Parts: sequence; structure tokens; C-alpha cells
Amino acid sequence: MNATTISPPRAVRNSRAHGARRYVTDTLLLTGRSLRSIPRVPERLLDVTIQPIVFILLFLYVFGSAIHVAGISYKDYLFPGIIGQSLAFGIIGAGVATSSDMTEGVVDRFRSMPISRLSIISGQVMGQFCEALLGIVITVGVGLALGWDPHLTALHAVELVALMVLAIFAFTWTGVLFGMLVRSPDAMQGMGFIIILPLTFMAGTFVPIAGLDAVPRAIADWDPISALVAAVRSLTQGYPSSGSWQLDHPEIAMALWCLLILAIVVPLALRRFNRMLAG
Amino acid sequence: MTDSHAPAIEAIGLTKRFGDFTAVESLDLRVQTGTVVSLLGPNGAGKTTMVRMLATLLRPDSGRARVAGHDVVSEPDKVRRVISLTGQFAALDKNLTAAENLRLMARLRGHGRIAARTIAGALMERFDIEAIGDRVVKNLSGGERRRVDLAASLIDMPQLLVLDEPTTGLDPRSRQVVWSTVRDLVAEGVTLLLTTQYLEEADALADRVVLIDHGREIAAGTPAQLKARVGEQRVDTVVTDAAQLERLDQALSASFATSVARDQRTVSVPAPNEAADLTRVAQAIRESGIAVDEVALRRPTLDDAFLALTGRPVNADLDGEADSAHEPITHEVAR
Repeated sequence: MNATTISPPRAVRNSRAHGARRYVTDTLLLTGRSLRSIPRVPERLLDVTIQPIVFILLFLYVFGSAIHVAGISYKDYLFPGIIGQSLAFGIIGAGVATSSDMTEGVVDRFRSMPISRLSIISGQVMGQFCEALLGIVITVGVGLALGWDPHLTALHAVELVALMVLAIFAFTWTGVLFGMLVRSPDAMQGMGFIIILPLTFMAGTFVPIAGLDAVPRAIADWDPISALVAAVRSLTQGYPSSGSWQLDHPEIAMALWCLLILAIVVPLALRRFNRMLAG
Repeated sequence: MTDSHAPAIEAIGLTKRFGDFTAVESLDLRVQTGTVVSLLGPNGAGKTTMVRMLATLLRPDSGRARVAGHDVVSEPDKVRRVISLTGQFAALDKNLTAAENLRLMARLRGHGRIAARTIAGALMERFDIEAIGDRVVKNLSGGERRRVDLAASLIDMPQLLVLDEPTTGLDPRSRQVVWSTVRDLVAEGVTLLLTTQYLEEADALADRVVLIDHGREIAAGTPAQLKARVGEQRVDTVVTDAAQLERLDQALSASFATSVARDQRTVSVPAPNEAADLTRVAQAIRESGIAVDEVALRRPTLDDAFLALTGRPVNADLDGEADSAHEPITHEVAR
């Protein structure tokens, strides 16, 4: 049973591929892994697209008949709101995917392999980012198909895309952090329903903030998602918002919120990830 | 590079606690290069925790461990280069196909696209999984997944292969397939650390067995040495009427050292002479006139080993946290 010789490893990792290069290669490979699973788990993409579509249909064709917003058609008022809400729902999508993925045996295998550790979490973020982006693209497509009419100048379009990318990035990192903290997809869904759903509703998404009672209005004035929705609405329809500082300057507020979220969430996520490694 | 004279594993006083719970307590382990060592113990014994520390996935609270001469805490990257871990649950991406998994692992190990394809192809041929190569892993059976998992562990022939409960939850046929694969690897000279709940498995595959419980070593030796202490074979008699258990015990204890498992209505006696002892037990039962449901010769299980070596049954106080008991404890009784 005992053999006296042992075959050496056929290929010890290429010694050239050190540091940054190795990190980039590993991240790309792991991002590819996440992307490849999108068509294999269509229900996950459905999660981030079906909800906005349900809200679109409900508000456009049911509640919308009783809502009148001054100076704008309800359709054009609604779609920027739906986009803001979908961006925020990215937290839930990334969280659910992360909580199920990070507890799988495959992550253990990655961790016991000579790969860049950081690439595991980068790959996760990149994969979830692309999935969220795809969700937004689908939602926008549904909106345009149903007659949403954004008035975009080229400059505004660039600004809008940049802000949305920043927001998806911030919310993806947030979701990845939450996903590592809760470690159960059901808990993540529950948290999303209790915290994120109400915040998206109080953000001037479906009805103007100005008409709200004092308490929900105070929340809505400083709800980060209000800034998001107001910024998208201002860029796509030129529709102004006012109230709190962030509603007077929605584009700047949206960018600041995203940067603030990233500044808090990224270090926490990395710390949490390292803790998981240390056990 | 790797010190070829260093043992494959040398762990001294390894300890890991989770809160108040001590999963592994001051455990020593030495695995010589080219040998197969089995960590044998029930669920919650600390096997997985031990393996995860050696594979650099968990940081020990105290003690030291070197794998192929590299310290698991201070040189984890070097350890990861020489070790390959196959965890308790298939360490594959369940949304990728078997072939995609193998190619991904090969590329993460630094092989180019074409080399990865070649390696994956060769492994699939070797493990006889070409037919299932294009199926998504989540749709494979447990046995098929295990084979893909093993293949993934061998992308770069590791110096040390660690298999954590490779056959738990598998049907007997798949278990045989895994065993023969492991035997082939051993024949090629792979050093193997294997954890298992099955005495039979440790016996079949290992040169040396370390029996652990509650994170401590209980006994260690070759399978032959352990079996000599445990007893090769036993004859178990199940009485029809539980009230007759005492009488049967008395009838058999005249010529055997009996042990009684009351809740199973079973009197068990050692049977080193196998069939001859079985006949003698049957004879004694006939003379006593006690009705029995079953008289069977069986090979020793983990339970027997524990009883013989510690004087108490396995999991006298059950705690599954350490190995995160995902499934109920099942001890195979080979009849």
C-alpha cells in the first residue's frame, strides 16, 4: 500500500501570476462562474424582475387611476420610481444569492486552493452586479414597451447611467454584506420585506412625498431611496423635487449616499469575509 | 519548496473552541508521506474541525500543525499548494456542469484555457464521468457528485489529499466506487487523510486509524490492532419478548462474555471463531427454549469500537455542533 515515491504536483501555480495579475485573473474566473449560473437559475433573475413588473402593472393599471400628480403623466411619474425601487431591491437579490452561495461547499474549495482570497468576494460582487444590472435593463425595457417616455439629453443620459451604476455597485456590496451576515436566504428575504420594501414605498416612488403625513414625510425626506427616485425622475423627466436638502439636490445627494454606503459597507464586508475565513 | 523529508502532516496539541464548546482538544496527528490515515469518530467528534484546520480553513486556537513542512497558520498559501480537500458536501458549483466545474478549478489553479480543457477531459475519462460531463451538478446523484468532486481534487496531483467523510450518505454501490477510486490513488502513492464514521471504511482503506471523540484521541493503531482490541466478529441475538432478555443473557453468559442492549432487545457476544460461535449460540438458545427474532453474525461497527475502547457507547452525550450535524447519526450494521 505504501509507495516510496510520490509524483510532484504537475503544475504548481505559475509563479509569474502573482499579486495583482493573479487577483484580476481569479476575479474574472469567479465572475464568469456567477454569470454562468444566471441562465441556470432563472428564478433568481425573475426575483429581481418580476417584483418591479408586478408593481408596474398594479400602479399603472389599478391604483394609478386614482392618483393624479400635478404637471406630469402618472406613467412618467411612476417609472423613475420603479427604477429607484428596483435599484434598492438589488440589496435583496445580492443578499439572497450570497447567503446561499457562501455557505456552499464550493466556497470552501476555493478557499483551500492557492488563489487570491480577495478574488472570492470580488467575483461575488461582480457577478451580483451584472445580475442586478441585467434586472434593471429588463425593467427599463418593460417600461419603454409600456409607453414610458423619458426626455433625456445626451448629458443627462450619461449622468443617469453613471449614477445607476454607482447605485447598483453600492447596493450590491450592501447585499453581499447582509448575505454574509444572515447566512440564510430566507432570513435575507424576510429582512428585505420588513426593512427595504417599506423604505422603497416611502420614497416618493408611487405618490408624492409632499402629500404624506408628518412622520412618514420626515422619514421620506431623508430616506436614501427618496434621493434615488428623485434623481432618476429629475434626469429622465426634468421633474423637480423639493423638501429636504437631498430632495432639492437629488443627483448630488444620490451620489453622496452611494459613496457613503460604499465607505461603510465595503470595509465591513471585507472584515466579515476575513472573519469567515479565520473561523 | 517543499521539504520532502517532512511528514505529510504533523500536528501537535491542536485545539479549536467555538464559544464554550471545545471541538478539538489538544489533538496530535502524524501522517507519514505515502500512507493513509483515517480519523474515525461519530458525528460531532471533531473530525471536520480538525480537517478544516489542516486545510487552512479554520485557525487553531492553540497548538501547531505543519503540512508537508509548512505551518498552516503562518504559511497557508504554501499549504494550499500541496493539499487538496474534498469536504463533506460536494465542493462544486451546483449550477455549473461537471465539466465546467473541472475546467474552472483547473483555471483557478493557474492552467490556461486549453490546458484546463485537456485536464478536465482526462479526469472525466479516468473517473468515468464523461457521460455526465454536460449535466448541471445539482441534477447529479450523490454518487455521481462524489466522483466529480474527487476528480476536482486531483487537478494537480496533490501531495496530500484530504477526504472528509467521502461516503457518508452514499448507497452501497456508490460507496464501492469511491473506495476503488481511493485505492487506485493510494496505489499511485498519494498521501491520504480520510475521515469517516464507519469502522469498516477505515479498515478497508487506512494504514493507520485514529479514533476520536469529543475532540480527543481515544485510540490509535493499525486497523488490525484496533480490531484485535474491539473483537473481530460478534453474534447478536434479538429476543421476541423483551421480558425474556434476562433469561437469554443468563443462558448465554454461561459460555460467553455477553453484553445487553436493552432497547434493541439484543444480547451480543464476541465470536472470534465466527461460524462455530454462531452455532454454539444457536445451540444455547435452542436449549433455553427462548423465542428469538434473529440470530446474526456481524462485523464490528464504530459502536463496538467505542464500547470496547472506552467502555461506553458512542454519543453517550450527544453534541453535533462541531461537525455541524447535517444529518442524523446513522451507524451501519453490517450483517
